[in-house]
Amino acid sequence: MHNQPPTMITRFITEVVTKFNPFSARSRATRLFLSSLPPDARQTGITINNTVLPRTSTAPPLLLIKFKDGKEMKLDGEQLGIKGIVEEVDRHSRALQKQADLTD
Amino acid sequence: MPPRIHCSARSSVSRALQRTTSSQGLAAFLLQSSKNSSRHYASASSLLGSLRLPDNYIPPTQPPSARKPDQRKAQLLRSYTALLRSTPLILFFQHNNVTFVEWAAVRRELRAALAKVPAPIAGPDGRVPVDISESIELQVIRTRIFGIGLKIVEFFDADAHKGQSNAYTHDLSATAYETISKAPIDENSMYGQISPLLAGPLAVLTFPAVSPAHLAAVISTLAPSPPAFPAPSRKKNPGYHDPIAQSGLQKLILVGGRIDGKVFDQEGLRWVGGIEGGLDGLRSQLISMLQSAGLGLTTALEGQSKGLWLALEGRRTQLEEGSGGAKKEESEAAKEEKKEGETST
Repeated sequence: MHNQPPTMITRFITEVVTKFNPFSARSRATRLFLSSLPPDARQTGITINNTVLPRTSTAPPLLLIKFKDGKEMKLDGEQLGIKGIVEEVDRHSRALQKQADLTD
Repeated sequence: MPPRIHCSARSSVSRALQRTTSSQGLAAFLLQSSKNSSRHYASASSLLGSLRLPDNYIPPTQPPSARKPDQRKAQLLRSYTALLRSTPLILFFQHNNVTFVEWAAVRRELRAALAKVPAPIAGPDGRVPVDISESIELQVIRTRIFGIGLKIVEFFDADAHKGQSNAYTHDLSATAYETISKAPIDENSMYGQISPLLAGPLAVLTFPAVSPAHLAAVISTLAPSPPAFPAPSRKKNPGYHDPIAQSGLQKLILVGGRIDGKVFDQEGLRWVGGIEGGLDGLRSQLISMLQSAGLGLTTALEGQSKGLWLALEGRRTQLEEGSGGAKKEESEAAKEEKKEGETST
């Protein structure tokens, strides 16, 4: 399949807060992040909170991710792009995965 | 190797030719010419020159397409351009990994909400407008192909290329492709405004007619925002609060809409949904506003002179009362004087 959204490690995410203006091209990465969360995200305990800003709003898109170890990551979708966002989230998730493997 | 399909190409060609020429009545000529071929060479060749295969002729050695219609991009593009040209009201939703069961639940709730919209009443001429509740569909679209469809609808005008010879002007033609590749995309055009919306997985809700009542029902169900568009309560609609329906609805985000070629955001759509009485109600509101505006203008213009008249009238009555009192006093004083005069003399 072409153009699939990048798969992410989402086991360690507890909360996602987003705000974006869909009429701004800057919100593309934030929207793609929301679509890359798995279908059972809410059932496995991730709280997803989204606000759609009005068309005239010039506020930059907000993407706030909270992890199981309490870390809060605020990412700028405009600068990073969806690949950058996934990379950052995966980096932290892999560190948490290592910790979880060591403690088991 | 012999052909896999057991029918000769020649017989299928002749069958196809017969189909095209039978209406013209040349079949009789064909039969005659084939019998007397030695003498009628010239006429046969001229007849054959005017015979041609139909445009939809498919050689029998080509197998039918194995692709499903919704995976054939050309077919999808044509269906999207037809949709865009015929649908006045379109809502765009981002759908984030909604499962099949959740889609079924969402569509069920949508149907239930639309069934509750009051049916249209007969107009002044006795005809009842079509009830559009059954024709409102929520479909997932291929975003990129939809974007190309939007470009074609916006920037390609088939009539502008009529004069050109040998140029097909349908939506899949090379002419259309060249036109949209070269077209400058203005930010204020409809495509320029919608293009930021076309990111990620998208679903489209189509209305065959602009009906604020139905739009309000849809917004209350799929993108509720109290107090104007409240979600149905648990008592009135327990199916809405079913976990599968809820999780599906949470994954749908209303990002915008297109009404009659104009692009609206969530607030704009809520405004349109809040119009009372539909388009007829809007028209009657406009008429009453225009009439009262005329009245207000005349009142304002006359108001000054009216005010002056009222003030003067008031002063006159005041003066009359005052002078009447004064006259009374004078007459009384005159009477007293007379009396005094009389008594004195």
